[in-house]
Amino acid sequence: MESKFYMVVSLVAICLISAFALAQIYAVTKIKIEQQKVAAVQGALTTVLPSAVRFEEKVSGRLWFGYNENGARVGIAFQVNPRGYGGPIGILVGIDTTNKITGLRIASPAEGLKETPGLGLKVREPWFTNQFINKKKDEIKLKRDGGTIDAITAATISSRAVVNGTREGLELYEKYLITDTINFSGEKTNE
Amino acid sequence: MPKNPALIFLAAFLVNNILLIRYIGLCPFFGVSTSLNTAFGMSAAVLFVMLLAAWVTWFVFHLVLLPLNLVFLRTAAFILVIATLVQFVEMFLKKSYRALYSAMGIYLPLITTNCAILAVTFLNIDYRYNLLQATIFALGTGLGFALVIILFSALRERLDYAPITRSLRGYPIAFIAASLVSLAFLGFVGLFGLSL
Amino acid sequence: MNERHSRWRYLTNGIILENPTLILMIGLCPTLATSITVRDGLGMAAAASFVIIGSNVVASMLRRFIPNSVRIPIFIIIISTFVTIIDYTMQAYQPALYRVLGVFVPLIVVNCIVLGRVEAFAYKHSVLDSFLDGLGKSLGFTLVLFVMGTIREIFGAGTFFGKAVTPAWFRQYPMLLMIFPPGAFILIGILKALVNKFMKKESL
Repeated sequence: MESKFYMVVSLVAICLISAFALAQIYAVTKIKIEQQKVAAVQGALTTVLPSAVRFEEKVSGRLWFGYNENGARVGIAFQVNPRGYGGPIGILVGIDTTNKITGLRIASPAEGLKETPGLGLKVREPWFTNQFINKKKDEIKLKRDGGTIDAITAATISSRAVVNGTREGLELYEKYLITDTINFSGEKTNE
Repeated sequence: MPKNPALIFLAAFLVNNILLIRYIGLCPFFGVSTSLNTAFGMSAAVLFVMLLAAWVTWFVFHLVLLPLNLVFLRTAAFILVIATLVQFVEMFLKKSYRALYSAMGIYLPLITTNCAILAVTFLNIDYRYNLLQATIFALGTGLGFALVIILFSALRERLDYAPITRSLRGYPIAFIAASLVSLAFLGFVGLFGLSL
Repeated sequence: MNERHSRWRYLTNGIILENPTLILMIGLCPTLATSITVRDGLGMAAAASFVIIGSNVVASMLRRFIPNSVRIPIFIIIISTFVTIIDYTMQAYQPALYRVLGVFVPLIVVNCIVLGRVEAFAYKHSVLDSFLDGLGKSLGFTLVLFVMGTIREIFGAGTFFGKAVTPAWFRQYPMLLMIFPPGAFILIGILKALVNKFMKKESL
């Protein structure tokens, strides 16, 4: 039983069975994984721009146009990644055609947020992000910088990163509310 | 993740130290950090194999698995490649470099199941590092492993003579000491803007 | 009667007497890294259990056909197959959990518990016994992850399974240390010391 031939045959056989099983699993799960990714992006976009039912990606991972049932453009959503205390903070912002913010979603620690739990991580709490809703570019500043947003106690760096990142994003992307032509030459991301 | 080579090195070496911050490779850490000599031998073996493994698996992934659309075989391919590599290194050292073999030879078989090696090869792929970045990442991680295991073995040699309660002797006190060293390493967070 | 008794032992040994994490001191990395919350810890335990039980059963089924001299490579292939299956399944159906566990899912392949059980037990025992042994070791691993995850989540975040269980002032300023690596090390040190004390056996 212990001949060299048998050794080789058993190894090859087990490799083939394993590779075949994995190819099947991969084929099945690959579709699902892609769907999950699309669904996650769609879900995030819907939370920041609830009036839109269909989104069109204009700049990969950066800018989306939102349309309602009639196909009219109701606003845009954009992603900015300003540098916080522990690393980049991923922020998805939705604005409607009156230039007002409709929603703000901050990536979770599972999606790469590195802020300190109990301090900077509080940027994800609704009382903080809800402060941005229905506000325009000029109001998006910390109160101590002359704006309208309350900072998180003991986490000024994280709060200011979110506020300034959002405002800079508005400056960069607001013009796409009225134009369809994308003249995108990259963005300073501080990553 | 940083892209600059110097930052990759610092992140792997100190800020995201593989043992104390990422908690990878703990079995050999607590197993062989009992004396300075074994710590040196183990560190040398890990550093050497980590660099070789990072290169070999990088080529395997980018020249074989990716073009053939076989990425789902990554786990199986990497572990087999590393196991074979360790065997070859052991045979080669035994034949050609007896001194080196006697210094780190006995640690080589242990390395096949050292998760630090495999973790570095996976992370090189996950972070989309190119060959240079992958090399620097492996170098930083290996040196970070060596730094901690050598520092820690010096600490444990002294712990052996300390008057410690019976139930804390051995592993428990080693864990608690590791906790304090890890706390010190947390102090590196924020260095050059590097995060956990 | 005797046989049933030994079967029962295969199952229960792994939970306390031969607990992989706290008695045999193997599989430490995932135990420390993924026990930040109960949910993450149990997710890791489920993935590892699938691999331990699956590899044990398959290795035991094939034990008469596996030549002794190449058994280790064959075991590694079997284990990495199960690891890749759970890896892709989690990516597809539990993407949030998968992002938290990250590289620790593929690293199950070098978890000493898995290869150790396949080599020391499954290769020499029947399919049923191997299943029970794998189940027992998995339960032992799960138990430790559950205990660590519970303590770290309650002290580190003030929650249990994501639900608030502590007063608001504590959740405002929880013991952040427990979430970070030092907290994990000190907690497993204390658990190991308690085990040493109550099992009255020096493990070193």
